[in-house]
Amino acid sequence: MDALHYFAMSWLSPELLALTALGTFLGIYVGAIPGLSVTMAVSILISFTFSWDVNYALCLMVGVYMGGVYGGSRTAILLNIPGAPSAIATALDGYPLAKKGLAGEAIGLSTVMSVVGGFVGIIVLAIAAPPISEFAITFQPRDYMLLGILGIMLVGSLSGSSLARGIFAGALGLLIGTVGLDPMTAEERFTFGVVELWDGINPVAVMIGMFGISEALHQLHHMNKAVVKQKISRIIPKWSDVKKYMPLSLQTSFIGVIVGALPGTGGDIAALMAYDHAKRVTKNPKVPFGEGAKEGLIAPEAANNAAVGGAYIPMLTLGIPGDAVTAVFIGALFIHGLNPGPLLLIEQPHMFWFTVGNLTLANIFVLIFGLTGIRLFSKIVECPKGVLIPLIFLLSIVGAYAINNAITDIWWMLAFGVFGYFMRLYGFPVGPVILGVILSSLTDENWRRAILTERGSVSDLFINMLQSPLSAVLFSVIVLILVSKTPIWKKVFKPKIKS
Amino acid sequence: MKKTTITLLAALSLTSTLSFADYPTKDIQGMIQWGAGGSTDTVMRSIAPHVEKELGADLILTNKTGGVGAIATKYVNAKKADGYTLLMGAENPQMYKILGLSNIDYSDMIAINVLARGTPIIVANNDAPFNTMQEFIDYTKANPGKVKIGSTGKGGLTSIVLAMLDSQVKLDYISIPYNGDGPALTAVQGGAIDVMPAVLGATIEQIKAGRMKAISLVDVKANKLLPNVAPITDALPGMKSYLPWGPFFGVFVKKGTPDDAVEKLQAAFQKAAFNPDFVDLMQKRGFTIMNISGEEANYFLEAYRSTSSWLVHDAGFSKFSPEKFGIRKP
Repeated sequence: MDALHYFAMSWLSPELLALTALGTFLGIYVGAIPGLSVTMAVSILISFTFSWDVNYALCLMVGVYMGGVYGGSRTAILLNIPGAPSAIATALDGYPLAKKGLAGEAIGLSTVMSVVGGFVGIIVLAIAAPPISEFAITFQPRDYMLLGILGIMLVGSLSGSSLARGIFAGALGLLIGTVGLDPMTAEERFTFGVVELWDGINPVAVMIGMFGISEALHQLHHMNKAVVKQKISRIIPKWSDVKKYMPLSLQTSFIGVIVGALPGTGGDIAALMAYDHAKRVTKNPKVPFGEGAKEGLIAPEAANNAAVGGAYIPMLTLGIPGDAVTAVFIGALFIHGLNPGPLLLIEQPHMFWFTVGNLTLANIFVLIFGLTGIRLFSKIVECPKGVLIPLIFLLSIVGAYAINNAITDIWWMLAFGVFGYFMRLYGFPVGPVILGVILSSLTDENWRRAILTERGSVSDLFINMLQSPLSAVLFSVIVLILVSKTPIWKKVFKPKIKS
Repeated sequence: MKKTTITLLAALSLTSTLSFADYPTKDIQGMIQWGAGGSTDTVMRSIAPHVEKELGADLILTNKTGGVGAIATKYVNAKKADGYTLLMGAENPQMYKILGLSNIDYSDMIAINVLARGTPIIVANNDAPFNTMQEFIDYTKANPGKVKIGSTGKGGLTSIVLAMLDSQVKLDYISIPYNGDGPALTAVQGGAIDVMPAVLGATIEQIKAGRMKAISLVDVKANKLLPNVAPITDALPGMKSYLPWGPFFGVFVKKGTPDDAVEKLQAAFQKAAFNPDFVDLMQKRGFTIMNISGEEANYFLEAYRSTSSWLVHDAGFSKFSPEKFGIRKP
């Protein structure tokens, strides 16, 4: 009964309702602008809402979080610039849909599936938070390393026609990711003595350049190509479509919750894994992946919004942030005099249901705001190129600067943009580069922690890996995926399946 | 032409003196050395509104992370010394010189306020086969190369506490670096590491909830928040020469900032740090309020630098000798 009361608190108070709505609305636009991250928006709101009642502050921030994660898909679909790394996979099939004149339908479908994902995340948070957080913290460095390797294997899904080129691009990404101070020894790597490089090259700068600028240059190259007229008759997806894709979006939502709940990984990796999952389970897509497959659009969208609920799981139960945004939430709770930690659920039991209720509310607002204004947004793609290309440049430059208020990031972004353009010109996929940059530190750090734990003994690492059930499962999955892609496996098993 | 130039210059200098007289006339930028959600970030964001009220100007906070805070430090020192760019940092810069990270530390800046100091504590996984400092030392001696201790990189709190320990007793353990105490403390709970020295404030909630256990308080006396945890000097009396020691949070401006601006900032921060909300917040987290500036702050900063630099140097992981920078032996 109490739970229900707290759950409904933000629904029944007009002020809290309005603040959640406002937060969600702002979040969608903050999330859509590349470089403006949800983390940054929420930390600015901490100072802004300092003197407010904690519930008011939380409503606004939860709205921004939920809306922001969804908003990243907007620019990914319309302009091929993912608003955040968690929308990279969305751009792979969302933008091709927009180029076919289906931007409206793509945004409509991604909105509905984001909301589905959001709900799955919230439901799991509500019913299974304590066991999942206990499970999440048992991940050892070697498990994160295996997750990283599993992630690197997604290169296969992101490569398009040539695996060799995909592997090259992925390896390049891993290399870019190693720039900066060595996370273990603080030794400089590829920094050439430049302090600005100590923190490495920001993955978001690489992402904005490789997707946004390279797209603008690509369009400059094809100036004579006519602008596609957008079909905006259908925005709310067909019920039959929703039903058809529901199993996939539920599956990828679960990937999102679990990956989101792990303290070392977040929505970006979840979305990429979901994309890979969609590609694997969809036997005969109507449209090939990478050319506008709806499966490739909905899988990452469902997963990254489900990761929001996931990230709250360790935060609310143990005071351990599931991602960068929930880390800021912990700071906010502390500033408001609450003690975020394992005792939060006991000392402030209302916090849990209040947050669950508020997340649910914000998710409903995502649906409402997401489905309105699509017609107007679809027009962006119809803009004459003389307007569109400068617009992409402007967004990219502002976005790159916003990451860390550093001019350096703009130069990196532009350089990777030009580089990305040439990569695309010669048929190299850019997705694996970003994948590599994102996974580089996860794999590198955890491999080294894992091997340090065993005092440098590789054999001990393997023995312990096979003795731990969790590591053994992850290891077998990697082996299975690897073997199932080899020619021998295909020769043995494919004919049987066909007959 | 010449005349106009002179008039222009005169006007310019006039307006600039005027603006100093009325400091602050515009928004003040605060550069936080560490990321959003971290302890430095939380402390600075909770004092900022009180400072804004005192100064009557907006304080715009930005997280400028990287290079253990050296990037923000460098940034603030590259700006004009006009009091409009503040460095909001932790203890790390005091180690920059001997670790070869930067040639600027807090002795090259003006301290506006050293807000608070934290107390280090040594925590362990609940299943670890030791409960006190002495048991930990005995176990590690009996099982060389078995105990896994988390760390947060050279020059951080963990490395200095371990250097202090090393000066008293030689232990053989595995050191596993993490990016900050947050992930490392999660690893303690998950069992990936056994022991972790961290700041009391970051561990208090977990200890109270029984999710990890406190082995020893790195201080000369017990703390009110954890009265049952023995100070480390009980097991290792030799540690007295380094303690009390702890990480701190402070606000700094570039050298050469006009006195008027410095005084106004110092007054505003001093008042803000006395605000009951802020005091309450800091005490709940086990931070000791310091609220010092001027000579007092310089003395504290110098003492910290001297103790830590020589510890790190004697433990063998400094790049340069503290002597090179005229850092006195404690």
